Amino acid sequence: MSDWPELFETELLRLGLQPVRARQLTAETAQQSAEHGAPPADVFGPAHLYARHLVAELNSSASARRLAPGPVLLSLTGVGKRYRRRTVFAGVDLRVRGGEVAAIVGANGCGKSTLLKICAGLIRPSTGEVRRTRRVGFVPQDGGTAGWLTAEEHFTLFGAAAGMVPGRARSTGVHLAARLAWRPNTGQPAQHLSGGTRQKLNLVLGELHAPDLLLLDEPYQGFDQGTYLDFWQQVFAWRDAGRAVVVVTHLLHDLRNVDHVLDLGAL
Amino acid sequence: MTAFVVASLCAREVSRRWAALVLVVALPLWFYLVRRDLAGQSTRMLALGIGWSVSTLTLFVVNASRSVDPRLRLTGASTASIIGGRLAAMSGVGLAVALGYWLLVGVDQDLRHWWVAGLMMAVTALAAAPLGSLIGALLPRELEGALALLSVCAVQMLADPAGSVAKLMPFWSTREIGTYAVDGGGFDMVWRGLGHAALVWLICTGGTLAIFRWRLRVANYPEPT
Amino acid sequence: MTPRPWLHGFLDLCLLAMLRERPDYGYGLAQRLAAAGVADVPGGTLYPALLRLEQQGLAVPDWQPSESGPRRKYYAITDAGREFVDGQTAEWRQFRDGVDALIEARAAR
Repeated sequence: MSDWPELFETELLRLGLQPVRARQLTAETAQQSAEHGAPPADVFGPAHLYARHLVAELNSSASARRLAPGPVLLSLTGVGKRYRRRTVFAGVDLRVRGGEVAAIVGANGCGKSTLLKICAGLIRPSTGEVRRTRRVGFVPQDGGTAGWLTAEEHFTLFGAAAGMVPGRARSTGVHLAARLAWRPNTGQPAQHLSGGTRQKLNLVLGELHAPDLLLLDEPYQGFDQGTYLDFWQQVFAWRDAGRAVVVVTHLLHDLRNVDHVLDLGAL
Repeated sequence: MTAFVVASLCAREVSRRWAALVLVVALPLWFYLVRRDLAGQSTRMLALGIGWSVSTLTLFVVNASRSVDPRLRLTGASTASIIGGRLAAMSGVGLAVALGYWLLVGVDQDLRHWWVAGLMMAVTALAAAPLGSLIGALLPRELEGALALLSVCAVQMLADPAGSVAKLMPFWSTREIGTYAVDGGGFDMVWRGLGHAALVWLICTGGTLAIFRWRLRVANYPEPT
Repeated sequence: MTPRPWLHGFLDLCLLAMLRERPDYGYGLAQRLAAAGVADVPGGTLYPALLRLEQQGLAVPDWQPSESGPRRKYYAITDAGREFVDGQTAEWRQFRDGVDALIEARAAR
């Protein structure tokens, strides 16, 4: 019973809270259980579960104070893609503002990933007009990492691409990883990471240079249930920080809280 | 700055692929050992082996980074710094291999111009890196690229050095400089070899950059209004 | 009394309504909720809700010494909190009347 506060604080840190804040919450929790005259496990339940619940509540309060949508960061007008004589899609319209989340859905093979690459600028549309903000982060469905480099070397590499010095790139990467409840292991090359952890690396690399627009292609493949929820919380945290987020997904239950749903299969 | 980071991380990446590295470094050695009794034959074969192994290694490195490069471009890196950094690293690896074999030949063989043999190996390694990246740029799959390099090197080894076919191959300079290093003769052979190598280097490097500039182009969309 | 699932949506309203009456600390609020017959809210639900109100600027904390034991974190309602209570009260009445109407309709048949 006596190790409840330590377990609680450790879990808060693992969930990405600042150490000062975690210590303060642990102290307050001890006082509250004293008010009740009962051990913390009786008042709050298991330490790690209560820590998760508390962090989720604190995050949801942030999203309750949502700001008005910001400027348009991505706009597609009548965008279509043809490969030779096969039309993948046509007439796609989408406008995403800062502080909004858009989901691109549809069956396999309807061109979701192609559309996201068009948004990024890696593929040209056959028809229509794309306008987007310059600072963009792109997270592909898989790949996108160098198998023999460690996570920290990836931070250095992508940081250098964005003009960051290595030390700052590494500390930024480690900090962003902590928000996904991940502590990069030094010396472990990316190819030895589990699928879910490699996707976390992918996510961190996509936002390392603080882009205004994030384009995510089902980056939660291989996530377990808890990490999957962390991922969506992270999406909403980005949104609440005024960024625009576009997520490709095939899971319909993700769509409760998004601002736009673009169904490519229905066009 | 970006090119430097790309180059140093690329070198680190290669150094971790132990098995591939050992095989690549050992390949020229087999070429050398087969006719060790003939100084000229073995040294020239060794140099061509260096060319083959360095170009193949570069091919694999270029192919392995295929999914990373577009993301680096989107994050803000220029094509020249990504591809240039990688080529610089592979040239460095090639020069290191050449240096090792130069010392081996110096100890093991009695050559007329030992230092020119070193020049031959260095020039071969420097031409091999962009050749590998050009093949990698043209043939996106590793097996196809490796077979193409095998064909090029085999033709180079078998063709009559005096004939026009050999002159069109990328490592003609190796044979030309090598002949002077082993048998002596006019120093103009070295100059001709260097000129040929410079041309090969320019064509392969320029071709690699041109192809990747096209392949890694990012649409320059206007800002939303 | 057990915590009812439907309390969740209106816990913020109940807490702020009590704070509008007078500032109070966590355990005191739990006792008042229980005494009012609303619910026996466990600490694991109550304190996160209070933290959330604090973060949203609907209530402000103030540490005060207690007669016995350690200092206590007293919460007071803010202007934004009062506005929230007014808005939610209307919603609650509509909800309650709606539920009443449904129950009455069943009883009249």
